[in-house]
Amino acid sequence: MIPAYPGFSVLAVVLVVVVERRVLRTGIFAEKAYWIAMGVVLAFQIPVDGWMTKLSAPIVVYNPEVLSGWRWPLDIPTEEFLYAWAMLTLVILLWERAGRRVRQPTAEERSRAGILGRL
Amino acid sequence: MDRYQYLILMGLCLLLTLPLEFLLGARVWRRPRRLLAALVPTAAVFIAWDVIAVARDHWGFNPRYTTGWEVLPDFPVDEVMFFVAVPVCALLTLEAVRNVLARLAREDA
Repeated sequence: MIPAYPGFSVLAVVLVVVVERRVLRTGIFAEKAYWIAMGVVLAFQIPVDGWMTKLSAPIVVYNPEVLSGWRWPLDIPTEEFLYAWAMLTLVILLWERAGRRVRQPTAEERSRAGILGRL
Repeated sequence: MDRYQYLILMGLCLLLTLPLEFLLGARVWRRPRRLLAALVPTAAVFIAWDVIAVARDHWGFNPRYTTGWEVLPDFPVDEVMFFVAVPVCALLTLEAVRNVLARLAREDA
């Protein structure tokens, strides 16, 4: 049996990818800024999450039975990076969707459509 | 003071990323409706997961470092703030990176 936390984290990643590919289609995975931003977020996640999960004085305490057992870097449960990726990518997808404006066709597209319409 | 540790950590995340809004023109805080449209559904999904996980004893919050202001049994408001602060940090980072890349592209041109 796959422990619950890594299992559901992998599932969350898969679901977020499916939501982007099949439903929202924001195109974020093709954007360089997204991957750079996720790299920056990852760099800051390590100290913050490391502080929250440090075994000597944890803010969040995990039941060892639900964990993969990998705790790296620091004492962070490694699957937490999948969880964070899914959560933050979902936020970004919804941010993109909410910011999407209905694109008005350009004058050229309008005239082309006009010609095609007449044919 | 120890019991405010989680809340203070989330506050520091928001404080440290605030310059992105103004110095790098991220415009996340200044688009509150769009921000809520991104935050609310995500928080709903992940807090639901979180509440179930806490109820099933998968994880919990150390009473020593949390406020004890519970919104649900064993579920402090501190954890709700996590689902506000961390996503805001990520959105500020994304928008700041976009602006930096656009600026660099303009300088090249």
